[in-house]
Amino acid sequence: MRPLLIASLAWQDYRAEARLSACGVLALVAVIAPLLVLFGLKFGLVGSLTERLQRDPGVREIIPLGGGRFNAEFIHSLAQRADVAFAIPRTRQIAATAELLMPLQGRGVTVEMLPTAGGDPLLGRVAPPQGLQDVVLSFTAAEKLGARAGDQLQASFSRQQAGQVQWRQTPLQVTAVLPLAAFERDALFAPLALLEAVEDYRDGRGVAALGWAGDEPGNAAQRVYPAFRLYARGLDDVEPLRELFAERKLLVSTQAAQIAQVQSLSRNLDLVFWIIASLAVAGAVAAIGAGAVAAVERKQRELAVLRLLGFGSAALLLFVMLQALYSGVIAAAVAGLLYVLAEHGLNRLFMQVPGEYASRLLPLHYLVALAAVLLASSTAAALGGWRVSRIDAAQGIRDV
Amino acid sequence: MISLSGVHKTRGQGAQRYSLRIGQLQLQPGARVALVGPSGCGKSTLLDLLALVLAPDGAEGFALGGEDIAALWRRRALDRLAALRSRHLGYVLQAGGLLGFLDVRGNIRLPRQLLGLADDGSVERLAEALDVLDQLAKKPAALSLGQRQRVSCARALAHAPALLLADEPTAALDPVNAERVMQLLLREAEQRQVTCVVATHDETLARNAGLKVLRIACRRDADGGVTATLEQAA
Repeated sequence: MRPLLIASLAWQDYRAEARLSACGVLALVAVIAPLLVLFGLKFGLVGSLTERLQRDPGVREIIPLGGGRFNAEFIHSLAQRADVAFAIPRTRQIAATAELLMPLQGRGVTVEMLPTAGGDPLLGRVAPPQGLQDVVLSFTAAEKLGARAGDQLQASFSRQQAGQVQWRQTPLQVTAVLPLAAFERDALFAPLALLEAVEDYRDGRGVAALGWAGDEPGNAAQRVYPAFRLYARGLDDVEPLRELFAERKLLVSTQAAQIAQVQSLSRNLDLVFWIIASLAVAGAVAAIGAGAVAAVERKQRELAVLRLLGFGSAALLLFVMLQALYSGVIAAAVAGLLYVLAEHGLNRLFMQVPGEYASRLLPLHYLVALAAVLLASSTAAALGGWRVSRIDAAQGIRDV
Repeated sequence: MISLSGVHKTRGQGAQRYSLRIGQLQLQPGARVALVGPSGCGKSTLLDLLALVLAPDGAEGFALGGEDIAALWRRRALDRLAALRSRHLGYVLQAGGLLGFLDVRGNIRLPRQLLGLADDGSVERLAEALDVLDQLAKKPAALSLGQRQRVSCARALAHAPALLLADEPTAALDPVNAERVMQLLLREAEQRQVTCVVATHDETLARNAGLKVLRIACRRDADGGVTATLEQAA
């Protein structure tokens, strides 16, 4: 058998029958192009929704509700879990506020204090504050103060002791300002140590590091935190973590429902796609098979002559299959082109956010589509073209 | 070159039955014979047997170039038979049997390509000898019947086969063309020392061309069927 010779003969016959070949190609394009558009829509839509969820760290946040009593060790063990991206203890809410003042402008604002450290998803690419008196400001807080990175602030913390209001002030260094999208309220992000110091001060204890006098500080190892900031690693980790806390009778608030919604949309669209795809592919396979049967019937004379010349059954089957493959390759290329046009149009129509797509395919998807088309074409042609083995050279050449 | 003894083939049943019996047929290399007989007497059947496309029902001996054809058919060694066909046989069909999707050059060189033979100019030489050199780039549909037959002859000889089979190669042509095609075919075959078997109903044409005539005789049997017998070669 000479595959190259057969491929060349099959191609010349395919070209000689250009009109019939075009019909075969169009029939395939009619199946492949809509499937590509459908899959592109599914992939683009679900991808955009998922990406939107992934971009917003708030979706992955797990917020403990009600007062809890956690020690540092427990929260540290949470932070070590593979499904947790970031976990840090919080001090009491009431102790976690600060009055900030820009001495030069004379502007002030009251902000909430959030503990942070390296890996905090809210900080994103902003470097976390390192020293005890370093802070990162939220966009709105910085705006109200007129502060920029590198500025120095005056922070005041108050407490009531024996009916007397007392104040302590300390300078803070602004190391960075977060973008508005990262956090929309007035806040400062500081190392946990600063929040602990403020809480100690409120509780009447002294803080040696800031030179604040007071009672003897408590044992750091036995410190109890009422809450923590925790972010799951991925969207899929939120629900298992929620279940973990529920098992421990710990009430938490999550966005698990929102995530589940997108995931169920993805699953349902998958199902719809595969139902349509399998129906369409079954139809295409039947059409290609029928085309091969018709081709063998129509080319009986040529195939008989080829057999008389000494081509074997396998060579004749290859001849028929190759012609189906030619149709498959051309149809896949045309369908790919049509899809790209459709994708362009759909994305222009539906694009809301730059970087998001209504319809989208990866190079891998094109390759998979091509491989599927070729596999379906050759299988169907082999099934339909099997009759070539029954072509009788003696019969076929008589009615020449 | 080729030797058949006690080969028979039957098609159909009852009044539709047709049987061909070949007692003895020996052809030496370079032998040139014509199978002559009325139409329907089984010339094509014998050619198909020789062309290795029709399985004999039984054969005491059937050898081609040293190969036991009867055994190959018994084993259904179809690929081996196909290989023998492409190597040793050239076949001229009644109406050419050219492939419409190939041009004349593609048709003539196809048997050579199938054998993997290099292009040695023999396609052009044959085309010139058979007077179709100008037609090499045309599709068969653009040729006259006579030209098609000459292209078919060129294709049958292109790969230097040992045995040339021709089934009524001139039946569709006018007498002038018929004689010309026959002469060209036999001249080229003779130069190449090819064994020729030409089936024709035209005994005069065969004799004029210098072919040795073998007759196939038909007789109707009691059951209404027909039995054809090859006249013993002298």
